[in-house]
Amino acid sequence: MVRSVAERAFPSIRHVLEEFGDMMILTGKTIWSALRPPYPYGGEFVSQFLFALRLVWFPLLVSTVAINYGAPGLQAGDFLTLFGALDRLGGFFVLAAIREIGPLITSIVVAGVAGTAITADLGARKVREELDALQVLGVDPVKNLVVPRFLALMVVTGLFDIYALLFGIFGGILAALSFGQPLGPFWGTLFANASVTDLWGSVLKTTIFGAIVAIVCCYKGMSASGGAEGVGRAVNEAVVISFLGIGAFNYVFTQTLLATHPNILVIK
Amino acid sequence: MAVHEPQRSSPGSEEQEFEFHTGEIRASGEPDAIEFVDVHKSFGRNHVLRGLNMSLPENKISMILGPSGTGKSVCIKHIVGLLYPDSGDVIVHGESIPSLRDAELFETRKKFGVLFQDGALFGSMNLWDNVAFPLRQHTEKGEDEIGEIVNRRMREVGLGGEGAKMPNELSGGMRKRAGFARSLVLDPEIVLFDEPDSGLDPVRTALLCELIKEIHAENGGCYVVITHDIMSARRVAEHISVLWKGKIVESGPAEELFASENPFVRQFLSGESAGPLGME
Ligand SMILES: Nc1ncnc2c1ncn2[C@@H]1O[C@H](COP(=O)(O)OP(=O)(O)O)[C@@H](O)[C@H]1O
Ligand SMILES: [Mg+2]
Repeated sequence: MVRSVAERAFPSIRHVLEEFGDMMILTGKTIWSALRPPYPYGGEFVSQFLFALRLVWFPLLVSTVAINYGAPGLQAGDFLTLFGALDRLGGFFVLAAIREIGPLITSIVVAGVAGTAITADLGARKVREELDALQVLGVDPVKNLVVPRFLALMVVTGLFDIYALLFGIFGGILAALSFGQPLGPFWGTLFANASVTDLWGSVLKTTIFGAIVAIVCCYKGMSASGGAEGVGRAVNEAVVISFLGIGAFNYVFTQTLLATHPNILVIK
Repeated sequence: MAVHEPQRSSPGSEEQEFEFHTGEIRASGEPDAIEFVDVHKSFGRNHVLRGLNMSLPENKISMILGPSGTGKSVCIKHIVGLLYPDSGDVIVHGESIPSLRDAELFETRKKFGVLFQDGALFGSMNLWDNVAFPLRQHTEKGEDEIGEIVNRRMREVGLGGEGAKMPNELSGGMRKRAGFARSLVLDPEIVLFDEPDSGLDPVRTALLCELIKEIHAENGGCYVVITHDIMSARRVAEHISVLWKGKIVESGPAEELFASENPFVRQFLSGESAGPLGME
């Protein structure tokens, strides 16, 4: 009994570890082939970059404004009213919108919108054996397909983080206005608490989220098997694993940033 | 790994399972272009190739015949170095494919033309660019010369004038023919076909088989055709290897195999329902 349970659990744990290892290997290969000449991926990089830009800007706009207005804006505003400290809403937005919500929403939207498109595209090419044909014809799929997607998604998510911060703060302004507050204190506490560390921390974190999404989505696409159904499964798994990766890395990054930059712990 | 697998059937099942696998290799009278030496390959618990010994002769159209799911496509991927054996060796023109370094493998792959199961055309390019792709990738030829070669190969497979079409606008048969043209543009010494006849109606299958024969007669070289279709085998095969359960049942010149006494070979080559091969 114990043995059969163990036997059933064991391969799945092993499978998870193997997949994780494979993704790490793919990350290493991707970085290595991005740096080593030749660099044939320029055109594909530009087209992937524009593709992601086109897909992501609108869903991201709507979700950042709405979520920042709703969650930290109205909910935290309500809570701050209790202490008569609604003028501190701007300061709270540094913690909520810049450090956490902006990066998370950006990477989740990028994963859901651009990442799934990447997995579906590569997965379809895999099951049609296009990727095998490319390799036989001397084209390295990592260099020519994964590298441009990896770089494009990193740049796109990093840039979109700034975009998400701006629209997130706009959501906060809407919330402050709906509480009938003047905007002076909102800006005042926002800039009192915001530091350069917050900004680069946020952008760096989101850029790495983009890298995680790119690797997971490319890996899942390139290892799809079993026809159209297999591609659907790969897309599904890619999103789930991307979210897990983003969550896990967010914890590590936040801990490290707070430990190495204790000054951002002080709320002014 | 195999030793850790739970013993599902009675002892001695190994002999029973391979009771028809004489592994007999009848002389073909030609040197071997491709050799599999005791190749084992597993995917997780799925032991696909189980000690495969197979040789495919130079200058002939060889067929690898076997029921679906026995690892025929896996064989092709070993030949071109897309998969590596867990143990054993794959030798092409005296070179051990698994031990080549990346740069050497890149060179060696130039001598292969591969026609994948559904043509494997690049969906983002039109037919003409698909067929020109290997030339642009592997040679320093100018566009004029490339144009000449591409046009000739497209005409040969009956797609002259269709170059501007995109792969998704084509029927399965046309995609295969385009894939065939693409696999020929580098004048490969070895051409591998993965089920060229799957998903085609009998007439188109017959036409494609004729085409393979014609082009082989013209260019020579080692052609390896994978199929489970016995009609195609009768039409084009000069050499046959029967693969089942990851091992060769019997192999040799086509006419000798068609006259074989082996019950499995007879069942398979005559397409009868009675015999060792069941639904499983
Ligand atoms: N890349 C792979 N990963 C896991 N299993 C595979 C892979 N390629 C093939 N297989 C398995 O190997 C077996 C043989 O496959 P294949 O060579 O495609 O059979 P066929 O003889 O029909 O061409 C199948 O059970 C298939 O599921
Ligand atoms: Mg197959």
